[in-house]
Amino acid sequence: MTIVTGKAEVRRRLQPGRSGVLRKIWEHRADYAYVLPAIAVMLIVIAYPIYYTIELSFFKTPPGLQLRDKSFIGFDNYTAILTSEVFWKVTWNTLIWTLGSTFISFVLGFGAALALHRDFIGRGILRAILIIPWVISAVAASYIWKWIYHSDFGIIGAVLVGLGLADRPPNFIDNVSTVLPSLIVVNIWREFPFAMIMMMAGLQTVPDQLLRAAEVDGANAWQRFWHVTFPHLRNVSTVTILLLAVANFNSFIIPWIMTGGGPSNASHIWITHIYELAFGRQRWGVASAYSVLLFLMLMVLGYFYVRALAGNDRKEGSA
Amino acid sequence: MSMTVETAPRGQTRRSMRVDGWRWAGRIFLVFMLLYTALPMIWMLITSIKSGFAAMQFPPQWWPDQPTLASYEKLLDPQNSVGQDFLRFFWNSLFVSTVTTILSVIVAVPAAYAFSRFSFPGRNFLFFAVLLRNMFPAVIFLVPLFILMRAIGLVNTHGSLILTYLTFGLPLAIWLLKGFYDNIPVQLEQAARIDGATRFQAFILIVMPLSTPGIIATAIYSFIGAWNEYIYAYTFLSKNDQLTLPVGIQRFFSENTTDFPGLMAASFMMSVPVVVLFLVLQRYFVRALTEGAVKH
Repeated sequence: MTIVTGKAEVRRRLQPGRSGVLRKIWEHRADYAYVLPAIAVMLIVIAYPIYYTIELSFFKTPPGLQLRDKSFIGFDNYTAILTSEVFWKVTWNTLIWTLGSTFISFVLGFGAALALHRDFIGRGILRAILIIPWVISAVAASYIWKWIYHSDFGIIGAVLVGLGLADRPPNFIDNVSTVLPSLIVVNIWREFPFAMIMMMAGLQTVPDQLLRAAEVDGANAWQRFWHVTFPHLRNVSTVTILLLAVANFNSFIIPWIMTGGGPSNASHIWITHIYELAFGRQRWGVASAYSVLLFLMLMVLGYFYVRALAGNDRKEGSA
Repeated sequence: MSMTVETAPRGQTRRSMRVDGWRWAGRIFLVFMLLYTALPMIWMLITSIKSGFAAMQFPPQWWPDQPTLASYEKLLDPQNSVGQDFLRFFWNSLFVSTVTTILSVIVAVPAAYAFSRFSFPGRNFLFFAVLLRNMFPAVIFLVPLFILMRAIGLVNTHGSLILTYLTFGLPLAIWLLKGFYDNIPVQLEQAARIDGATRFQAFILIVMPLSTPGIIATAIYSFIGAWNEYIYAYTFLSKNDQLTLPVGIQRFFSENTTDFPGLMAASFMMSVPVVVLFLVLQRYFVRALTEGAVKH
């Protein structure tokens, strides 16, 4: 935020031979007014918390957020995390959760977008219905599915018993081996519409002439898809997958409301675990160290994210 | 990639046959997706018109013997304590979401415009910094923000929510709108300025109207995000009369764990405003994505 540089300072630096960057900043000073509100809000709500999280991660903190009594312990929080068994369990869960949700949501969403691309009667209504789960609050979705999975009165259990596939209703979310897949089904239910919207938007940018030309040249449906449609969608696919991956990695509400991470950590993912450490057990220091680790991992993902989002920009150059 | 691929007939089938195969595979797939999407929602509605007793039966009543709107009446009745709470949560959500939406648009529009039009030093850095915000989960910011909000006296106020909601709506809003402004020819503005308009006038009279779909999409996105937000509301608010709907409903039903018809009715009513809003304005949203974000 170089804009805070004082006037006199700027004038001094503007002497010939001084750095050209500052001169440029000075020439463009009015431009910053447009971004200032956005940046100011971001600074308060993001920069400060990031700094504070990093600081806290090196301290042993007493419960109740009496932070005057914290004491410096160096990297102890970090070693405690990396040597705990829960950490690896939770990391594994997060991996399955993120990859499973992202991949299946994308495939289902892309499939739906392709199937909806051709005009037919009722297409608008069908598209609208398919989008609804994305708009519904995750809290509502969690309760709806909790009821569907209910161990005594759940509809899935009743159907399974009715069809003779089970003797009594299976307990989906109190079972260590089925809980995570069951929650992933809920998550996909809420997320595939996003992939669908993005891919629908992407499909509209594929030039019809190209597809028709390919058809005239004798390309079959699969060849047209693979050689014409898909290359056009590469960019939007990357962005969609990354956005889904980030959203899934960061999701909290569905596991938190439906299971609270249980049974025996089987559905704890990073975010719910951090939340529980901080606000459940009041271990702020450890939770902060977890956050910093998370942060580092996200930076790696973030590199690809920014590259994908900015890809469009760079290609167009500065017009 | 899609399901249709696997089921397509291969080999030397006749052309028309092949196309039909694809079409059928697409239809079957859509029926499957429709069931997956709609059945949970239908079951929510059916449960919401059951009595508490009728909901707790095995095997379930597929259609209630005695449909009743009792759950809805209870939630919407201002005389009853449940109704009072629900209506208050509803109003709180509406207030927070509306203010957030208005502020998001006010902050995002000039920022996106600047990122699109000006080439000030640090532009790319700031733009990426804004985008990066979306990368980080709420929980990372939760502890320090809680302390910050406590320090500036915003805990247990709606201000704390509005301030935080602003930031997670902003990155996507700025990104979407920037795409829009990139596609509006600079010449239009230049023409207006040659005719004597100031930059601000050119912006308000030329650029703003052309970017309306983007602004509407931004507004919908902010509103839905704020309406559905849970973690910050759950952490920052503890007074019952301040709660927003997602937290309020959760709090309420952790005390009445067996009232599933009531829970389903509340979930339904919580979803109605955002679903209606989205369905009415969805074409702008798709258009904004097409013209803004998804370009080549």
